[in-house]
Parts: sequence; structure tokens; C-alpha cells
Amino acid sequence: MKEPGGMTPRERIKNAMDFKEVDAMPWCESFYEETLLKFFSEGLPAHKITNVEWEMSLDGHLLANWPKFMGFDPHSYFGCINFMGCPVPVDIGPIPRFKQRKTREDAKYEEYIMETGARSRRFKKEIGKITWYTMPQFLEFPVKDKKSWEQYKKRLDPEDSRRYPKDWEKDGYLRLFDEYQKGPTTLSVTGFYGFGAELMGIPNFNLAFYKDPELIRDMISHWEYFTIESLREAVETLKDRIDLVFWWEDMAEKHGPNISPRLYKEFLLPHNKRVARFLNKNKVRRIMMDSDGNTQPILDLVIEAGITGHWPLEVNSGMDVRTLRKHYGNKLFLAGNLDKREIAKGGEAMQKEIDLKLPLMKETGGYIAGLDHLVHVEFTLEKFKEYADYLKKKSVIQ
Amino acid sequence: MDSIPDRIARALSNLENSNNLKKLINEALKKKIPVLEILEKGLRNGLSEIGRKYEAGEYFLSELLFGASMMEEAMKILAPRLEARKLERRGRIVLGTVRGDIHDIGKNIFRMFAEGTGFEVYDLGVDVNPEDFVRMVVEKKPDVLGLSALLTTTIPEMKIVIDELAKAGIRDKVRVLLGGNAVTNEFGEEIGADAVALDAVQGADFCKEWTTR
Repeated sequence: MKEPGGMTPRERIKNAMDFKEVDAMPWCESFYEETLLKFFSEGLPAHKITNVEWEMSLDGHLLANWPKFMGFDPHSYFGCINFMGCPVPVDIGPIPRFKQRKTREDAKYEEYIMETGARSRRFKKEIGKITWYTMPQFLEFPVKDKKSWEQYKKRLDPEDSRRYPKDWEKDGYLRLFDEYQKGPTTLSVTGFYGFGAELMGIPNFNLAFYKDPELIRDMISHWEYFTIESLREAVETLKDRIDLVFWWEDMAEKHGPNISPRLYKEFLLPHNKRVARFLNKNKVRRIMMDSDGNTQPILDLVIEAGITGHWPLEVNSGMDVRTLRKHYGNKLFLAGNLDKREIAKGGEAMQKEIDLKLPLMKETGGYIAGLDHLVHVEFTLEKFKEYADYLKKKSVIQ
Repeated sequence: MDSIPDRIARALSNLENSNNLKKLINEALKKKIPVLEILEKGLRNGLSEIGRKYEAGEYFLSELLFGASMMEEAMKILAPRLEARKLERRGRIVLGTVRGDIHDIGKNIFRMFAEGTGFEVYDLGVDVNPEDFVRMVVEKKPDVLGLSALLTTTIPEMKIVIDELAKAGIRDKVRVLLGGNAVTNEFGEEIGADAVALDAVQGADFCKEWTTR
């Protein structure tokens, strides 16, 4: 598993997140599936990135060997790392899930109840055509007020045994997490803003900080309790075998954070700190916030809350690794920030963007290279390969 | 001492609780202060100040939304007292998310803020065909056509709408304002839009600037 430079991808990314020496800067990407489908039509060899697992199981018991199509692994093919390579298998969603079902359709759209309980509308898939990725239009959210929250809360019971796999067996997972080397072992956590906005919708959740602060306090307190208690078994078992906590927030847009520093401090910070303390106490130290948009006005508080890294750093929203590094030094490892619009152009534009940012990041460390969001459909396979080759060449530390 | 409309403006811009604002409005009405003065010097000035604070980074989305919602509550008291003809609007906006795109959060926030600022807004919703934008521009004769798109894959639709306006011979009759995460100033210039708004407040500011006579 060791690579030419001497480190495994896991060692490389862990060292980078810790501002330690690396043989080359790690490179992480996430792909929209539609982009991969487009790449196939442009010549990406499907057999090289298709995962087939030879097993067939029921309730955790292996019944027979049987080939099962398990999706794609483009990361190995292109030579990049998946943030979610080896995920901690805890289900932090509502249990029972809302039954996903189609409630309406017409010639163009389909309406659904999603598994989070939200009602949404999507474009109908046209047979034989790829429906390009788009978020659905949310028509209704499951939490509107105290009453609907109390109902929803019943599905957020951390003690529900269904949160862990039926075959959860400590020794097996300890071995797996020790041995995995293709990338980081990752625990996914939904942050406090992400949680509330997902249940109430961005406008209603934001308004509730003023109109119904007690509801917000109750939701956030419960989310802290739920997060710690549902993860406790996994975190206390795996401890520092968990390399990375992927903390999803999506709490900002181009103009700035959706929530003010004052509200963050008053409502979210104490809870955020307690979750981070629980993780740190168990030697889980690297917590990376996933938020699009311009998070800068709130970053001091986010760091105070215990976040140690940030991705994807959207250039379009004014994020720049050079400014962030200057301001935060090694308090924050950085990931992404290569402008997808420039990189997708290929040639000089792509090289210029990489050459602008990589030298300082190589010098100062604490950086995981990658685009400033998922690999989107505007990339051609040829341009993506060109980018991969150039980035890998430039990432080597002499 | 501050006038009551000034105090209304301050209560709104400081996001004091809605009851204080309602009390001040009722006090103004009792003292026979003209409703239009309460609206213009009080509420609209207050909302403008909220916009200024948002642009300056003192306020964020929650404050913007709460301000617009306080304004909406206040208008429930004033609207029945305003004769329709006296409720002068700053201007008219036709608004929608372009074809192929069903994102509407940013568009809806802009609508709330623009309405609070005094514009009459015709929101066509999401996934709007170019011909429907053109039809509404012909029919409503708006000052501004607001086009929203989140995705890099759907922003080319904005150019199609602008081209259709030109084909219909009405491009010079309406200002075209673009908004959405993927939209940049360079893109706006390239396709011949009048402006690109970074956020709801900047969008409303462009509309105000264009309709100030």
C-alpha cells in the first residue's frame, strides 16, 4: 500500500491534517455521479472503477458468494483520496425513517416525501437521458413549531439499536480501522446549523432564532445529547483510529454566514464545544467543517468551538487559502479551494490556479489539495485527467 | 426629541420585539400622523437601515429575514388604512428562477426584501420558460426583470431570456438583474445583463437606484 514517496494515502492525509511532514500533498475529491456518467461517455473505462463485491448476505450472515455491483471507485483510478473512504457505521438519521414515497407527478415533475420527512419536488427523469444533478425544491419541512418538533424528536433516540449495524462487533471494526490505508477513516457528524436547517428549511430556521428561541434551544440541546450518545459506543471503541470527523454544516452563502457571530455564540457555540470535547477526550482530534459559502466572519468562533479544518473553501464566495493561512496559521488545516471554474478550463488557466496556491501550501503544510466543491459536470474527462496529472506532479515535496 | 416615525425606523432597524414596533405604529396612528409618513419615514427607512447593516456585515440572514417579517407584520396594521391608489410603489419587478432550475431560497429572500422596500413583485416561481418571462414583461411592464439561477448548468438560460427579450423588441424596456450562486459580474457583462446582485439587499439597492426618478 506504500506509494513511491513512501507514505500510504492514510499516513499522508493524517500528517497533512496535523501539519506534519508529507512526501506529497494529499489530494481529495468528491464526484457527482452524473459527472462520472459523463466521463464514461467520454471514454472512462467502466470496468476500472466499478466496484463489484462477491458476497451475498442477510441480516449480517454470509449466505453465498455472489457478484454485487456496489458503485464506483473513481478515486483509485485518478489517484485521489475519498474523504469518506472508511466511514464509521453509525446511523444518525431519524429512525424510523420517513417512508420515501412519491405523492404526485405530472408530465414534468415528481413530488416526494423524503426520508427526512421533507416534501420536495424534482424534475422527472426522462428515460434514456441523464437527469443532471440538482437539489430538489423543498415544498415543506417536517419541523414547523414546538409540536411538530416534539413529534420529530421521537425519531432521534440515540439508544435505538438500529443505529449500529447488526454485525457491529468491536474487534472486527478495530481491525478494519487499523488496517485501512486508502484514505482517512471518517466519522460523519451533522453540525447544529445543518441539522436545524435541514429540519426547518433555511428561512424558517433562521427566523426562529428571533421568533421562537426556546424552540431553537430545545432542538440544539437535544441534538447535542443525541450526537454524543449515539456516537458514544463507536467513538469510545475506535478512539484515535478515527482520523477525521466530517462535520457537515453548510451554513453560509456568498455574502457570508447565514447566522451572525452573536447568534452562533449564544446558541451554537456551547453545544459545539461539548461535542468537540467529547471527541477530543477520546483522542479524536481532527474535526473538519464542510460548509460552502463565505464563512470568514464566523471562523474565529468555529475554531473556538473545536473545529480544526475546513473544506471546500469556495473561491466564488471569496475564500482563499492564502488569506486563511496567513490569518489562522496552523489553527486550521485547509482543504479544497482550487477554483473549479478555472480548473475545468484546463491548460494555462488550470495551471495558473494551481501555481497560485500550491507553493504556499507546500511550504506551510496543513493542506489537502482539491477543488472548491464536488467535481461537476462541466469537467470533461480529458480536462480532469490533465488536472490530475498536473496536480500530482506539483504536489510532490522534494 | 425624535419623531415617532424616527422611533419606528429605529425600533425596526434595531430589531426590537414586534410588540414595541406595533405599539409605536398605533401611537403614531392615534396622533394622526399620516399613514404614508409612517410607512416611508418609519418602516421603509428602518428596513433600509437593516439592509445597510447587512451589507456592512453587522447583520446576517437571520436579521434580514426577521426585519422583513417585522415589516410584514407592521404592514398588516397599515395596509387597511391605505387607499390602494395611495400605496405608491417604488416600481415593479417580475421575478423567477430560470428554466431547468428549481432553487428558490435566494429568490424568495429577495422577494421579501424587495416587497418590504416598496416594490410590487410578480414572482413566477421556479423553472420558468423564457417565453413566460417575455410574456410577463409585455403584460406587466416591470421596471426590473429578476432572473435567478443557482447552477452552472442553468445559468446559460439567462442569456436565452435576454436574447428572447431582444427578439421581442423589449430589451430596452426593462432592466435585467441576475442573482444566484454561480452568477458572476463577468458572466452578467458577457450576456448583456444590467447588473448582478451578490445578495438580496444589493439586488433591492439596484432596483431602487433604477427607479429613483
